[in-house]
Amino acid sequence: MAKASRYLGQALLYALFFLPIAWLTHQPTHTHLEPGMAELKIAVRHAGKIIGQCGTDNSAPEVLLPEHVTRPEICPRERSPLQLELLLDGETLYRATVAPSGLHNDGVSSMYRRFRVPAGRHHLALRMNDDAAREGATWELVAPIELAPAQVLVATFKEGFRLQ
Amino acid sequence: MKALLKKGFHQADRLFSNVFTPQWNPLYQLGALSFFYFWIVAITGVYLFIFFETSIHGAYASIERITHEQWFVGGVMRSFHRYASAAMGISVTLHLLREYAMDRYSGPRWFSWVTGIPLLWLLFAAAIGGYWLVWDQQAQYIAILTAEFLDWLPIMVDPMASNFLNESTLSNRLFSLLVFLHIGIPLALLLGMFIHIKRISAARTNPAKGLAAGTLLAMLAVSLWKPALSQAPANLDRAVTEVGLDWVFLNTYPLIDSWGPGQTWALLVGLSCLLTIVPWLPSRRPEQTPIAVVDPENCNGCGWCLADCPYEAVTMKEHDFKSGHQQSVVDPDLCLSCGICAGACPSSSPFRHVDELTTGISIPGFHIKELLSLTENKLAVLATGAPRIMLYGCDHGSVVEPMASDSVAAISMPCSALVPPAFVDYVLRKNLADGVVISGCCEGDCHYRLGNSWLEQRFSQERMPILRTRVPRERVRLRWLGEQGTAQLREEIDAFQRDLTAETVVTLQEAPNG
Repeated sequence: MAKASRYLGQALLYALFFLPIAWLTHQPTHTHLEPGMAELKIAVRHAGKIIGQCGTDNSAPEVLLPEHVTRPEICPRERSPLQLELLLDGETLYRATVAPSGLHNDGVSSMYRRFRVPAGRHHLALRMNDDAAREGATWELVAPIELAPAQVLVATFKEGFRLQ
Repeated sequence: MKALLKKGFHQADRLFSNVFTPQWNPLYQLGALSFFYFWIVAITGVYLFIFFETSIHGAYASIERITHEQWFVGGVMRSFHRYASAAMGISVTLHLLREYAMDRYSGPRWFSWVTGIPLLWLLFAAAIGGYWLVWDQQAQYIAILTAEFLDWLPIMVDPMASNFLNESTLSNRLFSLLVFLHIGIPLALLLGMFIHIKRISAARTNPAKGLAAGTLLAMLAVSLWKPALSQAPANLDRAVTEVGLDWVFLNTYPLIDSWGPGQTWALLVGLSCLLTIVPWLPSRRPEQTPIAVVDPENCNGCGWCLADCPYEAVTMKEHDFKSGHQQSVVDPDLCLSCGICAGACPSSSPFRHVDELTTGISIPGFHIKELLSLTENKLAVLATGAPRIMLYGCDHGSVVEPMASDSVAAISMPCSALVPPAFVDYVLRKNLADGVVISGCCEGDCHYRLGNSWLEQRFSQERMPILRTRVPRERVRLRWLGEQGTAQLREEIDAFQRDLTAETVVTLQEAPNG
């Protein structure tokens, strides 16, 4: 093959390799969120109530303890899991039990979820129970919301639910 | 599927060899090209890092400044950084497909294959991390999805995605961490690449200079014509709706989007596991021949086999019974039975004055004695009309055995470099044949990596054992045409015979005067 035509061929093959790369690094576009949709995120990081109460350690016989020493208290470490519920317009979007972290279930409970919801007016209800000793929701937020297309509404928890 | 892939590669090989020449054929040096792209990415990355600001607002703004205010350097560097990484992704994928199609992954080669799988993960992780740093719409999209993807694994107490709830939850420290990861992961990748080539000798990590120069020129042209740009800046208070994606590295994100993290993890881990076990899957590839055997009686410890073994299977040790000498040792776990060592052994000479021809190192089934006997027997039955050709071929190159005729004797072996140069000398000197043709895999694409290169060097007296000067070079032809060049080889043998006939006529005509 003549030198010139060989170099021309090489230029063509280089172009065939790099031009698709240049195109593929940003095209075609991908639709992540349909028009008219918004996002609702819920992120909770909260330590549930301790399960049980502190009690006196009765393991040592009374006679073995010096007079000025009181019996030690034993406090349980395990925390209640979080019972979470998210309803939008009466429909359950999320309902789950979030276990505490840690080998002894004594850490915080953390969760995150993202939902795609239609933009517009909605009725939001968030409920959480963080105390295994009690029935029903210990925390609740019920509020009307209005979402613009592509808006991100975030529900977090810090001594109560908050919407951002 | 493998056969189809192989056929496709053969056709592409032919085109690229015609246009680029075999020495510059990019398909023969996909691994070396991947290394080359890596270095481009590394060097341009260092430049970009000098001007990059590791903060929420600084990240996007600094990259915009690099791209537009110094487009002639920074902008080009950024484009090189992006396009070279994408080119690396493609060359690595082609490299994997090619090694699979050409059956270059089983036996002792499992090590390179298996160590290549984590490199794919590291390469993708490095590229994805780089896209985060731009902190544009694409970065926002992949940051959230990557966090959700990783959160699916029960390893972190606090979900990583909580860092990307909205603008108020984003931290500058996150960008410092991202920069750290974007430097650390490529370093891990480089270490992995080093391990990947650990078991092969004379690993080719640099492409041919002409190909490297052409690649740089092509990238420069593309970078000037279509510079890499950012999309709109990230804004976590608004969801990403439509996003331009790098489909080379971010192709799994639409899957995460539609399937969810669990199924995508299952697909990626499943695919990786499947790729990892490929070397041990039953297939129709031929059984591996027995590994090389050293005969201490005939090994003089010269080390030529050690120098030529493409897989570092040969080492030297203290000789079993010759004090002060060394002898070769073959590691059975590394030997691919190519026989290149037997062709390198100085004892593999039919001119040796011994009762029974033997050698220092050989492949059972293709012992030098058997090869000589086969050569002599096949040549003995050739007719004397047309010039007699001894055709040695390799099992992975042009198919030579069907070319045997009453004037052509053909022997196929694991690798053509198994033929010691002394054999060619012997065949011609003893007038057993009028010409010798050695064929094999395409130039630069030897199934055993270095067979045809070593043979070329032995015949041009650049490598031991050499083909002696007395051998008439016009009666010897080395043809590296590969399996796809079988028909061409047949034509070239016919042409060689015609040349030999013409030469004989000329010699006969000159003889009365001379």
